[in-house]
Formats: sequence, structure tokens, C-alpha cells
Amino acid sequence: MSLLEAHDLNVWFDLPHEGTLHAVQGVSFGVDAGERLGLVGESGCGKTTALLALMGLLPPNAQVSGRVTVNGEDILAGGEDAMRSHRWTDVAMVFQGAMNALNPVKTVGSQIVEPMRFHDTADGDAAQRQAGELLELVGLPASAAKRFPHEFSGGMRQRAAIAMALACSPKVLLADEPTTALDVMVQAQILDLLESLTRDLGLALILVTHDLPLVTQVCERAVVMYAGRIAEFGSVDTLFHDPRHPYTRLLFEATPDLSGLEEVVSIPGSPPRLDRPTVGCPFAPRCDRVFEPCAAHLPALVSVAERHRAACHLNDEAYARPPRPTETPA
Amino acid sequence: MHRTEYVLKRIAFALMTVFVAITINFLLFHALPGSAVTSALRSPHASPELRATLTHEFGLDKSLFQQYVLYLNQLFFHANMGVSFVDSVPVTATLRTALGNTIPLVFVGTFVAIVVGIVTGLLSAWRRSGVVDKVSTNSAIVFYALPTQFIGMMLILLFGAYLPTSQMRNEVENFFSDQSAWSNLVDIGRHMVLPALCLALTLFGEYTLVVRSSMLETLGEDYVLTARAKGLPQRRIVVAHALRNAMLPIATLVALSLGYIVAGAILVEIVFTWPGIGRAVYSAVLDRDYPMLQGAFLILTLSVVFFNFVADLLYFKLDPRIAQ
Amino acid sequence: MKTTEPALAEGTALEARPSARGNVVVQAVKGRPSALVGLVIVAFFVFVAVFGSVLAPYSATQQTGPVYAPPSTEHWLGTDDSGVDVLSELMVGGRTSMIVGFAAAFVAMIVGGGIGLIAGYAGGKTDGALMRVTDYFLVIPDLVLMIVIVTVFGPSRLLVILVIGLLLWTATARIVRSQVKSIRERVYVRRARSLGASHRRIVFQHVLPQVAPLLIATTVLAIAYAIFDESALAFLGVGVPGVSWGNMLEHAFERTAMTQGAWWAFVPPGLAIGLAVIGCYLMGQAIEDALNPRLRVAHLSIKSWRFRGGSAAPVAPEGSAQEPRP
Repeated sequence: MSLLEAHDLNVWFDLPHEGTLHAVQGVSFGVDAGERLGLVGESGCGKTTALLALMGLLPPNAQVSGRVTVNGEDILAGGEDAMRSHRWTDVAMVFQGAMNALNPVKTVGSQIVEPMRFHDTADGDAAQRQAGELLELVGLPASAAKRFPHEFSGGMRQRAAIAMALACSPKVLLADEPTTALDVMVQAQILDLLESLTRDLGLALILVTHDLPLVTQVCERAVVMYAGRIAEFGSVDTLFHDPRHPYTRLLFEATPDLSGLEEVVSIPGSPPRLDRPTVGCPFAPRCDRVFEPCAAHLPALVSVAERHRAACHLNDEAYARPPRPTETPA
Repeated sequence: MHRTEYVLKRIAFALMTVFVAITINFLLFHALPGSAVTSALRSPHASPELRATLTHEFGLDKSLFQQYVLYLNQLFFHANMGVSFVDSVPVTATLRTALGNTIPLVFVGTFVAIVVGIVTGLLSAWRRSGVVDKVSTNSAIVFYALPTQFIGMMLILLFGAYLPTSQMRNEVENFFSDQSAWSNLVDIGRHMVLPALCLALTLFGEYTLVVRSSMLETLGEDYVLTARAKGLPQRRIVVAHALRNAMLPIATLVALSLGYIVAGAILVEIVFTWPGIGRAVYSAVLDRDYPMLQGAFLILTLSVVFFNFVADLLYFKLDPRIAQ
Repeated sequence: MKTTEPALAEGTALEARPSARGNVVVQAVKGRPSALVGLVIVAFFVFVAVFGSVLAPYSATQQTGPVYAPPSTEHWLGTDDSGVDVLSELMVGGRTSMIVGFAAAFVAMIVGGGIGLIAGYAGGKTDGALMRVTDYFLVIPDLVLMIVIVTVFGPSRLLVILVIGLLLWTATARIVRSQVKSIRERVYVRRARSLGASHRRIVFQHVLPQVAPLLIATTVLAIAYAIFDESALAFLGVGVPGVSWGNMLEHAFERTAMTQGAWWAFVPPGLAIGLAVIGCYLMGQAIEDALNPRLRVAHLSIKSWRFRGGSAAPVAPEGSAQEPRP
């Protein structure tokens, strides 16, 4: 059993006029203590929604089914009210663009101390001291506590946000595009920080991003999502060297290589609409290896190797596989 | 430091505006046919001594620029705004009494409007699209749109039988010997109910709408999501995070509108014959009492400048990002 | 009035054409019932304004019935303090009030729009100077200044229109100015400048079409204010001469209609003003909203997300349920 597990998670959004959008479809995965898991996919594939669903941070027009367990205990079952005691203490989150994620009219220190007070983990001077220590842990001076968010640069703000996330010693840290708004140098620093924190504190990290190279750099394992479903997941190495879903392969191929020797391939077309039920594999219209079962049958996520799963008919021996294209992936 | 610099800049601006307002006032009333002070000279009530005094004080026989200087002199050093065309009473004295009558009315009416506005605006944003929201928003729009005098007239029509609506029997300073201070207060209070209600109904609409939209904007901010992610209780999030930020635009708007309310109370004071500064303006218009009109205009302009300045300071205090 | 900048994406800038004007109104009304209501109300009042004097059953100035007669089959809204039919007064007066409202708003649009355009486009010292002037104007309490001017110069319809318009322009100017400033920095404008296009061309071909929708929204809201102000001036005895809603209210007050119980003498004009203002407000608000959609979702609300029972996948063959890894 993993530290955090999502079981058959589904999220629907009620649309303003009619119908529902099925944003997350039957997603299940888990992460262990000290492990770094990446959640990748195009914009709109449902990765952010899935992440938010882990903490129950969904808007009122959302419907949810499935379970989210921490050390076996289902934290989602009690609804919004029951979730509060688990938020920040079991699972904490770092958001994209700490510009707005931090309250502009409160000092950084007060925002770190706040969850400590409300979750009764520390109070008064002890809390202040801990806040200072957390700031130093992320590479900021303890005096930063008295300052306001706008007085910091983007990178420093993100560090402060990480310090804030650690305030109640969570077991799992969720990060939603934590470095997207930052420049490359700062990005690297933040990622290093996250890496060292997971190592030193034994945290589990789930990192959502659309930036594939980032995932290969930081994470050990990755979940590739497409159209609200999991296309493939396994270790980052395996996904790179032996992808078992065409989407995964194309994603890696579409990433420009600095050597400039390889041609950049882009994936034509766009993801399917999620407000209508899909028939067959959602990737079929854009897939370069589509064959006869794809249009009518939704592929199941099955094991293709040790700790490696993919949802593609190509892996199913029951079907006669079409010949491979002449070009092979790197 | 940045902070002091900002405050000084705002003070400078406020003073400049005051100065411009006074100058405009002067030009408007002096460059016209039948100017304010000279009209006083033609007044049948004006005694020869009065004429002499006025001519001396305001230099009516001198050039425009010299008159301007004298005007400023009278204004700043003697608080002299001339003498009423109608009753030869110094304008300053009459306006002071009038202002003293207006301020309690405006204070009560505005206070009620602000409180109602904040509460309904907050509830509307919170229970978005619910019954509370629809009722609040729609009634806010309706009362915002109805002319003030109409609201007042409706109140008289509906409640005139139960509450006194005609002229205040006792002015704030006057006490009849057979009336105790307490009963005077009660009397004033009873007279104030309908006009204050009228003012409140006129004003709350704007506040409700502003609070609502400001709160909706704030509730969509990322730091509210962060606060929710922290597992904080809802009340804490709404008050300490959302409202605290929403207060910025709300506070400035309220402070700004205060400046105009004193002028806006004109209509209320007329409908309920409340002897305040608005009513003084009205009478001055009816009687073509230019000195009074000029004085009242100046006072009202100054109140706007003052409250604008207060709004600037308030915003400055509430938003740590300003000092840059 | 709020000062909001429409968030037009860079991409759409290339398609900006004068035809955007009509589209905005259509866009604003679509899917927004409040806007439709506003439009209907305004259209109704415009209709009355145009055809009022023809459709009115009686004279709006001559006595045609007893004084303060309650509503009856002959006089649907009764008669006022001089025995004049209220309904007729309402219709004819509506024309005056609407004309003043529209005209004043138009003045505000021209002056405010012009100044805002110049200030925003020219920038620098011109901008600073114009804004200084605007700031001073903003500080003067509108109503009082109007009273003073009309008192001194005498009442006339034109004067009232000018006065109201000249006090509404400040808000328009500010909004237009900030809009123009942001447009000026858009990529396609800078490109046009570097290609040597004259300022005149840029303004008319690029800036103006982009500003137009916001200007319209602001002007529609200004109509609401103008109608309101007209009634206030009338109440103070310095309004437009003749029959108008504001004057009807003023007469009713002077002749103590409230205490005499003659509600029909002031309720119709009062409600008419309120309705006209609501109509303009809804329309203006809708156009403004259409230009500046607030796509934000409230992260917090009294309602919360809920569980859905039953199976999740829409069309799923057996064995599609995904299990956690071992």
C-alpha cells in the first residue's frame, strides 16, 4: 500500500447551460514516501483537476466519485467539511505562480504561521520560530517572515510558498506547475529544492506539469494523461526508452532536442471534447498507429511490464498488430 | 521614505484642489452679471453701514485681482464669506448651523447604508445566484435607479401618518425652556427617521453592488484557494482573506462617495424640509441669494476634497503594495 | 462607474474592424436575460419619446379633467394638480427627459471620448495636464455646480443638456484614456507606426474601433445618470422648462400630492425615471461585462462539490476499470 493513493477517481463539472464535462475519468495511481511522481499531459487533459481532487479543492459545480486514501484512510469520503483536518497536515500544495497564491496584504510569516494555529500544531513564539526555520530550509532568511509577498522576486515567492506548504509537516506535497512562470535559472533552483526536500524530509511529491524534460529531470516515475484518462505510467526511464502508448512516444518526440539533429515532431489535431462520451480510444483520431479495434473499443490500462502500465490496444496480444512504421523512436 | 513622500504628495494635491476650487468659486460668482457681493449691495435689507463694510472688506471698487486677494484674505483670516442677500446674516454663521444639522442626518443615513450594503453584498457574493443574491441585487438596482426625491415622497405617502415629516420643530442648538434635553433629542430623532431612511435607501444600492462585485472578484483569487487548501475554517477564509482584500476597493469607494453625499443630501433635505446645508442651497437658489450659494458651494466642494484625501490615506493604509 | 480594461487578446487585434460595434451589442444580449430586459425597456422608452405626442390621449399642458382626479377609465392615470391628464404628461414628458438624457450623454461621449483619446494617445505632458484638469472637475460636486450655473445663467433646455454633459465627461475620459493607452502599446499599432502610418490613420483605423464598444457602454450608463440628474435639477426648480418627468415630480411635491393622497401624480413619473435608469444600467452593464468577461470561478462558496453515485465511465467495455499498481 502506498502513502497516497487515488482509486478510480472521476470528476464531472456541471456546465452552465446543459450537460456535464467529464474532466477526470477513472484515474488511479499511488505514490510512496520519498518518491517523486510526475503527472504530465497537454493543457486540458485533466491533470490539474486530478491533483486538486486529491485535496478536494473542487468548485461547487463539480461532482466526484472514487477514493483518495492516505495510509489507507479514505480522506475524500467525508466531503468538504471532513477534508479540512487532512488539508495541509497530510497533504499540502504549492500552486503555480506564487504571485497570487500568497495573500498580498499579509506578511509571509503570518501566512506560514496561520495553518499551524488552525491545525493546532504550534502556537505563539514556537510557531514564529518554526516559520523562521522553514524559511531558512528553503533558502530564505528568517527575517523574510516580516515582509510582504510583493517585496520578493518570483523565485523567492515560490520558495516562501514551499515553506508555507511544509508548515504542518505534511506527508505528501502536491505541486501544480510550480516553475512555469519562472525563468530557467530559477526553475532549476526550485526543482533542486523540491528534490532535496523529498529526500531529506521523506516527503512524497506529485508534480503536475506539461513540461516533459522537467519531469525526466526531477521525477522517478510519471503518469501520462490524455483526455482525462491515464494513457501510460511507469518509471521515467522506461517511458523514455520503451513507451507502450503512441501518445507517450510522440510526446517525447515532440520535445525539441538541444543538439538540433533531430526533427521536431508535433502532434497534429486536438484532444477530444470531454462533454460528450467518447467511443473507443480517445487518442485514436491523432494516433499514428491506429488500427481496427481503436475506434470502437476503449483500451483498458493493463500491465505491460513490472510496474509499467499502458492503455493501448497495441499491447494486447489478442489483436493482430499492424507493422511498425519505418522510423523508430530514439 | 516612500510612505511619507506619498502622504505629502496627497496633501499637496488636496491643497491645490482646494485652491482651485476657491478660485473657480470666486471667478464664477464675481465674473457674472449681478455678482454675489454686489448683489448684496442692492439688497433692500442692506444698510449703509453694511454696504460700507462690504465695499471695504471685498474691495468692490478695486480691480478684479485685488478683489481676489481681498476675497482670499477674508476667507482665510476672517472666515468671512459675505453676507446673505436675504437676511443680511453672515453666511458663515448660517452655514455653520446648517452644516451642524446636516451632519447627523448624513452620518446616520450613510452608516445604515454602508452596513446594509456590506452585509447584503457579502451574502450575495457568498450565496451566489441564490435567492438572497437575486433579491439583494435586484432591490439594490431598483433603489439605485429610483430618484431620491421620489423615494422620499413615497415614504411620506406611506408613513406620513406615523412619523413627523415636516420641518423640525427645534433646531439642534435651540432648547425650549419647558422641554428637557432628552425629549428634544427624542424629537429630533423622530424627525430624523424618515429622512435618514430615505438617504439610506438611496445610497445602499451602490454599496451592495460594489461589495458584491468586489467580493466575487476576490473569491476567485488564487490566495483564497490557497487558504482553502490550508484547511482553514470557512469563516476565517471569508473574513481574513477574502473580505480583507475586498475591502480595498470598497473602502476607497465609500470614502469617495462620502464627499458627494453631503451634496446628495440636498434632495432629501428638501423633501423633508430639514434645515441643513442642502436646504440652504435650495433656498439660496429660490431667492437668488448669491453669497449664500457661493458659500455653500465652497463648503460642499471642500467636503469632497477632504473625503477624497481621506480615501487616499485609507487606501494607502490598507494596501501594503502602495508604498513603491 | 467602474474603470475596467477589456482583456482583448493580442490575436483578436488583427481582426479588429469597425463592424465590431454591432457584434458587441449582440454578444452582450445573447445569453444574458438582464440585458434583453434592458434593451426592451430602452427601446420602449425611445418609442414613447418619438411617438409620445401623437399617441397621447389628451393634451399634456391643458386642463382636461378635474384637479387630482384618481385613475379612471377616462384618465388612466388620473389628473394632476392642474387637471392635466397624467398619462399624456408622462408620454410627452418622457420625450423631454429622454432627449435630455441622450443628448447630455452624447455630449459627455464626445467631450470625454475626445479628451480621453487625446490624453491616452499623446501621453506625456498633454496627458498629465488633461488629467489634472479632469481631477479638478471630478472633485466638484456635480449637482451643486449644475445648480449654480443654471441659477446664474437661467434655465434652458440646451443649457441643462450642456451642464449635465459637461459633468459626466470626466468618468468617460478616464475610461477611454486607459483603454487608449493600452491599445497604443499593442503590437499591431506599433507595427503600423514603424511602417510610417500617420497618427490620424492609426487613430481612425486602429484605435477608434477598439475603443468604440467601451465608449458605447460608458455612454449608455451616462444616459442613466443624465436622466437622474435632470430630475434632480427639476426638483430644485432649475430644470428644463416645459413638461418633463422631473417637473412632474416637482409639481407634485410643491402641491403636496403626497399628503393629499394623490399618488398618481408622482408615482408614474418616479417609476418611469427609475425604469429608464434601470434599462440603461442593465444594457450598459451587459455591454461592459461582454467586453470584460470575468472568467474566474469562485473558489469558495456556501455550496460545495458533491459525490456522484453510480458507474463513472460512459462507454466502457469490461475490464476497463483501472487499478492501482501493486
